[in-house]
Amino acid sequence: MEKYISPDKLMTMKDAVEKFVHNGDSFVFANCLTGMPLAAVHEVIRSGKKGMMVFQQGGIEEIDLLAEAGTVDRIALAYNFRAGGKRIITPLDRAMKEKRVKVEEFTNFTLLSMMKAGAMGYPFIPVLSGIRETDVVKRHGFFGDNKFAEVEDPFSKQKVLVVKGQNPDFALMHVQRADRAGNGQLWGAMINSKWAALASKKIILTTEKIVDTAVIRSSPHLTIAPAHKVCAVVECPWGAHPCELAGHYDYDIVFRAMYLGSNGTAAGMKGWMDEWIYNLPDREAYIKHYTDKFGAELLDKLRAKPFLSAPADYGFTFTQEWDENNYSTKFGMTMDQFVKHLEEKGVLIESAGGEK
Amino acid sequence: MGIKFTLDELIVYRAAQEIKDHEMVVIGQGLPMAAGVLAEATHAPNIVIVTEAGIVGLKPFKVPIHVADTSCTRGYTYGCDMVDVFTTILNHEYVDVAFLGVGQIDRYGNVNSSYIGDMDNFDIRLMGAGGAPEFVGYAKRTVFTMRGGEFVEKLDYFTSPGYIRGGNTRYESAMPAGSGPSILITQAAVFKFDPITKEMYLAGLHPGVTVEQVKKEVPWKLKVADKLEITELPTEEALGLIRRYAPEISMGRKLQLEALINQVFRVLSGPQNK
Repeated sequence: MEKYISPDKLMTMKDAVEKFVHNGDSFVFANCLTGMPLAAVHEVIRSGKKGMMVFQQGGIEEIDLLAEAGTVDRIALAYNFRAGGKRIITPLDRAMKEKRVKVEEFTNFTLLSMMKAGAMGYPFIPVLSGIRETDVVKRHGFFGDNKFAEVEDPFSKQKVLVVKGQNPDFALMHVQRADRAGNGQLWGAMINSKWAALASKKIILTTEKIVDTAVIRSSPHLTIAPAHKVCAVVECPWGAHPCELAGHYDYDIVFRAMYLGSNGTAAGMKGWMDEWIYNLPDREAYIKHYTDKFGAELLDKLRAKPFLSAPADYGFTFTQEWDENNYSTKFGMTMDQFVKHLEEKGVLIESAGGEK
Repeated sequence: MGIKFTLDELIVYRAAQEIKDHEMVVIGQGLPMAAGVLAEATHAPNIVIVTEAGIVGLKPFKVPIHVADTSCTRGYTYGCDMVDVFTTILNHEYVDVAFLGVGQIDRYGNVNSSYIGDMDNFDIRLMGAGGAPEFVGYAKRTVFTMRGGEFVEKLDYFTSPGYIRGGNTRYESAMPAGSGPSILITQAAVFKFDPITKEMYLAGLHPGVTVEQVKKEVPWKLKVADKLEITELPTEEALGLIRRYAPEISMGRKLQLEALINQVFRVLSGPQNK
């Protein structure tokens, strides 16, 4: 896989999508249900890219938007949250009925297992064989023979259900904080984030906040997107709205209800997408439009109260071999004695010129 | 004066009784979470609640809209991920009870939560498999709740494995010995599964419901227990807990949606009107 090593990958959302997203790409969301990278989704839709395939663990509105816009024509899907109830015809329902989008059904675990195998560089991985008689396993669509298979466990000789390792072209991921090099830190519900991010060939990272690398170095256990896999970093406050994000904001149920009031028809959806996606340049303008329309108070009500994690102390004595008097407790000698010792033992090599 | 309660409150109360103390319980959004919280607040203070989002030992303070929302992620004891839940927890049979809402169910407790009608030309698309197939497949017991779903001879789509074709067929299909659906609670009645044939039978009725009414809903010749339980009514204490914690569950989906839409109109009419 291509390595992305650079101290500064900060760019605009528009540049990130222009540079790293292509027609026909496959991609995966490295968030699920919560903290979704919706600002990135809006930009991908605005860019007019088409014909993509997406791995989607648990979709809320983003999957409707991508289907409606024609950005994706194939979806590997485990779950689609239907907040409006089952009798509402959603944009994804319409896209499926009109054959604009093909859906391949998975379970949460089997979809994520494809990512885990891909992340580890394995061709396939066992899953829980007890689901083998279900239609999730037995029926397949555009995945064809690449959906499920059974192999013999070479040790027990039992049949084991397996899925194929997958490596999507890119992942979209939103996190609480990252440095400019792209070390992305996420906390709260981790769901699929690690495996989806690591399965992808590159990560387009949006973050609520850019922090100094020193912050990352004091909390490396929170780094879920390692910089070497991150191709672009975009600073994007409210980047997951109307989803919630721990430490930042709650989900916006009133905004969602408004969306659900629009998504039942193609005309309603066009109006909503014009207003909230196509007629706005970026997330900053989206938030401004929100506060202009509903007042800042509605947004302020969503802001998180702190619930701080106890800090993990990474401390040691941090002494080097030589103490403040240039003395080593381990060797029982000073730096001068050390050099002399090397001299005496005859391991020092004199350069050819012999000059000091 | 009798106690006044909604049908969904009765289901929450009955479902909570399926949770025993010290059990590990997998719960999704909505009604089952209300049952979990009620159980923990009353007869089962030491349960461990798990969601498939990788959240273990959570203490929800209101009913979550999904398995990873703000009320799930405050103060849990073990943060792992979804692969960990299905492998290190579920596959090692730590899960005692899983809850699942049902779209269609057949006589052996196999469930459809994906499509009504043929999947290629569906009438209704439901939420999809999610974590249900593995949870129903590997939890020691599964509690089904059904509101607005249906009993069918043959599922339109087979999402989650109950007792497959009855008898031992579930265990021949790699699921853990002794595991399986234990109960189905509907808006009218309570159903259980025969220990040998694994066929669903009528085990109890909600107050005021007759056997004949239930039979009309079931397309096969439903077996009926010799002695039917009558569903216990929720106590004042339980109703108070449910309403404080999960008013949207007390309301039911229709009234909840109605209230939300009214609120949207209030908000849309401008910031000055709030």
